[in-house]
Amino acid sequence: MNKYNAYVMNIKIMIIFLLAVFMTSACVSTTQVVLLPNPDGKVGSLEVASVKGTDPQTLDKPWQATETSALTGAPGTPKVMDEKEVKAIFGQALAARPLPPVSYIMYFSQDSADLTAASKNLLLEALKAIALRSSTHVAVIGHTDSVGSVQYNDKLSARRARAVVDAMVARGVDSKIIEVTSHGKANPLIPTPDGVPEPRNRRVEINIR
Amino acid sequence: MKKLIMIVSMAVVLYAGLALAEETSIGFVKNVSGQAFIGRQQKLIPARANEKLLLSDALITGADGSIGVIMQDDSLLSLGPKSRVDLTQFSFSPAENKLSFIAKVKRGTMVYLTGLIAKLDRKSVRIETPNAVCGVRGTHLAIKVDNQDEDDSDISPAKSN
Repeated sequence: MNKYNAYVMNIKIMIIFLLAVFMTSACVSTTQVVLLPNPDGKVGSLEVASVKGTDPQTLDKPWQATETSALTGAPGTPKVMDEKEVKAIFGQALAARPLPPVSYIMYFSQDSADLTAASKNLLLEALKAIALRSSTHVAVIGHTDSVGSVQYNDKLSARRARAVVDAMVARGVDSKIIEVTSHGKANPLIPTPDGVPEPRNRRVEINIR
Repeated sequence: MKKLIMIVSMAVVLYAGLALAEETSIGFVKNVSGQAFIGRQQKLIPARANEKLLLSDALITGADGSIGVIMQDDSLLSLGPKSRVDLTQFSFSPAENKLSFIAKVKRGTMVYLTGLIAKLDRKSVRIETPNAVCGVRGTHLAIKVDNQDEDDSDISPAKSN
């Protein structure tokens, strides 16, 4: 009887051993997810689950990380990682991350396509942002408020956009990287009934990527 | 409120830009270092700055490579060396309420900073790996996939053994 028990035990150990070998070789991959603080310092949140959507773990603290188990596929209990360790693992991916795109809005006086003093200051900021990003994607979009006809506002919004583009090109921006469009009164920032003067809609938007 | 107006106006601007593009580009390559490729329709194209990205493209880096891209919704995605990420799904049409982004990290390291899609619809960005699914809500994350399976035969049949 003892001999029989020992025999069964050996087989059991063998099976467990084989299963362990099989499982580790079948699930070779693991996933590690780390929540990073946003560039502005705020911290968002994310949920990590198994492929089947089970065993979810929520990450909502900076540098908090979870790693999936190679055996079960379930994400492990979140742990806060050392910032240096995260940067060592993800240094090259972090270095390759582009700077976030930036947008500016320049406002205009009623019926005018002249840049105001404030707009000229904003233009300098935009030029810096273009240089910093070595940008090749600058979008300039002209708008008006709802006073006047569609045709008149189409022309006015195009003149406003053109004034901004000309000012950029005069300061050394390659015109080929600028995509200029104008929407007349069709895309107000602040929706109003037709014929309503609204300073916040008399604008040119600049998007730099 | 001001922020919301800004976000919505940016979405409109970007959507207008997207509608004007001659082919539907979902983003573009911003920077490249070392070996980096775009896998497109069973071909490996060397990645260069300003190269447009199309739906179903894969981003692939070699042993010394890295790549950073800007998606149409202004989200930012970058890969470290020996990595592959498939851009499986991308819709950015706020006017039609079509918003979604699914990226599959096959191996290596990726950093992702969400853009307008995640701001406009908090459930529409998903990052998948061979053994996990990440639901992302307006955030910045790093993800590393250790995967010994480096089979790229779906993209580059010549390179598979």
